[in-house]
Amino acid sequence: MSEQTATRTAAPAVDLFDRIALGVVGLSIVTFLLGWTTLFERTGTDTAVAGLSLFTLFGAVFLLAGIGLLVSGIASYVGAFETTADRYTGIGTGLGLGIVGFAVGGLATTILFGVGATGSVLVGLVVGLVVTSGVAVLPEDLGTTFPVGLLGLAWGGLLVTGAVDAGWFWNPPSLDATFHAPIVVPLATIALSLLIAWSGAIVAEGFGSQGRQNGAYLLIGLNAFGMIAVLLLLILFVVQKGLPKLLEGAQFGPGLGISVPFLTKGVMLGQQYNGIFPAIVGTIWLVIGAVLLAVPIGIGAAVFLTEYAEQGRFTAIIETTTNALWSTPSIVYGLFGYAFLVPRFGNSNSLLAGMFVLGFMLLPLVVITSRESIKSVPDEYRDASAALGVNQWQTIRSVVLPAAMPGVVTGVILGVGRIAGETAPILLVTSGQPFPARAPSILGSFRFVATPPFVQNEALLQASSALPYQLYAVITAGVGQEEAFGWGTALVLLLVVLGFYAIGIASRIYFRRKLHQ
Amino acid sequence: MSDQTVTQTNEEQQSNDSTEQRSNSLTVDVETDERLVDSWTDYEFEDEAAITVEDLDVYYGDDHAIDSISMEIPERSVTALIGPSGCGKSTFLRCLNRMNDRIDSARVEGTVEVDGENIYEGDTDLVQLRKRVGMVFQSPNPFPKSIRENVSYGPRKHGDVNVGLLGRLLGNDDREVEREIVERSLEQAALWDEVSGRLDDNALGLSGGQQQRLCIARCLAVDPDVILMDEPASALDPVATAKIEDLIEQLAEEYTVVVVTHNMQQAARISDQTAVFLTGGQLVEYDDTDKIFENPESDRVEDYVTGKFG
Repeated sequence: MSEQTATRTAAPAVDLFDRIALGVVGLSIVTFLLGWTTLFERTGTDTAVAGLSLFTLFGAVFLLAGIGLLVSGIASYVGAFETTADRYTGIGTGLGLGIVGFAVGGLATTILFGVGATGSVLVGLVVGLVVTSGVAVLPEDLGTTFPVGLLGLAWGGLLVTGAVDAGWFWNPPSLDATFHAPIVVPLATIALSLLIAWSGAIVAEGFGSQGRQNGAYLLIGLNAFGMIAVLLLLILFVVQKGLPKLLEGAQFGPGLGISVPFLTKGVMLGQQYNGIFPAIVGTIWLVIGAVLLAVPIGIGAAVFLTEYAEQGRFTAIIETTTNALWSTPSIVYGLFGYAFLVPRFGNSNSLLAGMFVLGFMLLPLVVITSRESIKSVPDEYRDASAALGVNQWQTIRSVVLPAAMPGVVTGVILGVGRIAGETAPILLVTSGQPFPARAPSILGSFRFVATPPFVQNEALLQASSALPYQLYAVITAGVGQEEAFGWGTALVLLLVVLGFYAIGIASRIYFRRKLHQ
Repeated sequence: MSDQTVTQTNEEQQSNDSTEQRSNSLTVDVETDERLVDSWTDYEFEDEAAITVEDLDVYYGDDHAIDSISMEIPERSVTALIGPSGCGKSTFLRCLNRMNDRIDSARVEGTVEVDGENIYEGDTDLVQLRKRVGMVFQSPNPFPKSIRENVSYGPRKHGDVNVGLLGRLLGNDDREVEREIVERSLEQAALWDEVSGRLDDNALGLSGGQQQRLCIARCLAVDPDVILMDEPASALDPVATAKIEDLIEQLAEEYTVVVVTHNMQQAARISDQTAVFLTGGQLVEYDDTDKIFENPESDRVEDYVTGKFG
């Protein structure tokens, strides 16, 4: 093996082989990235690189990469370069490429010849089977490069010759949809780039197990990168749309202080800048109320189920039901609140009802995650504590729960992310006027009275707005404000949720520190 | 084959009911042809007995883990329990402070007297029992807390030491008492010199050997009479093991120490008397350590301690 590596680095011809492979990988990464930016309209059909339109550029790159793959595959096969290719490509790779063959063959048949669904599926199956069996028995250096290289040549040829250009579209007869080039080309480009990058990575390591590892690594890496890129683009999109509204009329700077009317004002007639302050306050109170309700009960239930209850059918049933409750649609919770809680809380929509419903929604997740993290506290701690004569409750309080806290907090963070954005229950049990002028003043409304329940809070029993509800009202139902108002709300909702995450992560770090200092 | 052993006949095998056999003071082991002799386990000593075990049987479900063991453990000495894996020595150890209560399927019969009180009587206070009979486990298991909190955990939870806000408000802040307990326990566990400057560091930052000595200190902090150790050095390197062994010998001046070990050299080095358990949860021989290792009565024990069996 080491001998082989030595000859490979010594021979200039091998250098050339490596360069071709790396070139193929590099080119396909470029098209992969450009594919994503095109899909999200950061680059478009009118973008020109070095005098070539984007699609022509894609075509040229695929032609080059396809030729590179074919050449290096043949070169390895005829023995021009020393590689560690296996004798057969194997059924796994064969199946993978066969599925690609099925999709390409089937689609090509319908698009080119207008064959119906059954016919194209049959053709696709035939192509897929041929590719699978062919690739499986070919030597590895041909099996991994040839199908991919040929596909690259074909797609590159279509793009370069203009057979598929910016105005191209496909209108399948059996569907009402039309597929336009600005969507189809980037998608196909991304998929093909992944394939070519995979194949190129295998070639770059000279096939064999090293090559397969390199190929898998690159494929997984590019996929992960693609997913993260989608998320970042999503956030960027919301920020871009929402930021102008958020900063409308905002003033910063020396002598001015900081004023952001969108965040600090409600909606009132005759006001220069309207804002969403009441909804922000509503959402924050809803989350605080739900957390205060669900976390103590949830942790208590988890402690009981894990530490005290006899593990058996009872706990198994509870576990199944908790999981089922967590996946229950939120509108069902909302309906329960509407039919059961609202009539009992003064027969009108109220913040308190919203807190309860969201608390019920959060409860199962707190129970599930708390149970898991209590279970994962090592039994050695419990044994050590018991051997010192410390009773079970004290052990739970001073050893088990502190050790389980980071996991519990993680669960609460995840749950808060879900309930803060929940619209359906709020629509049913909390919402009143979507754009109120004033925020609910919870802290200022506590009154102590001489009769039970001794504490009254008017604001808790009144309807309130909340960010997701307002978003729904503006964007979907088109009520009240202009669209930009909705985008501003969306951005603020995102920030509020991220704010809760930050609090959660900070407290998790605090609890971890306490365990490990 | 010594003259004590008789060849097992089919007849004996069929009537292998242990209680019946024991009434004749002889019993036949299922797997070997050696009879157990009661006198092999009749260990005579001059000191007071700290623990007296009589006819102890333990079952895990249908599994008979301890088979009618009786033995007396002298105070202020090191008693080693040795034997092959699965012979019940750890189970026996865990009977002495009722840690087996924590296993649902375990059932214990017989009596265990600590300082003359049967700990399996109905109204035994487990808190008081475990304060008197402390335990150190196989792998070091300090809590994920500071060194100080680890040592003072027992006294704090038992209310012997009040620290914190409430104590301070009520004017009985026992931090001075706590400091003394921590220092005394760590010194007894030969750890004080290594950690005195960093008592508030997390215990998980200590080395394995230090962690095990911390666990011993934690056990000493509640001021026990008896310390049970379940293979206390098996997870440690030779240097740390040597320290633990020295420590055990020192502790025996004040405490009754019962050590389970797999390591026969260790048992020979540190213990005053040794009890040998062999398969089936039976105590085969119990005597002075020298006697067990140099001239045991039982052939099987001889085979075991010389490494021919087990």
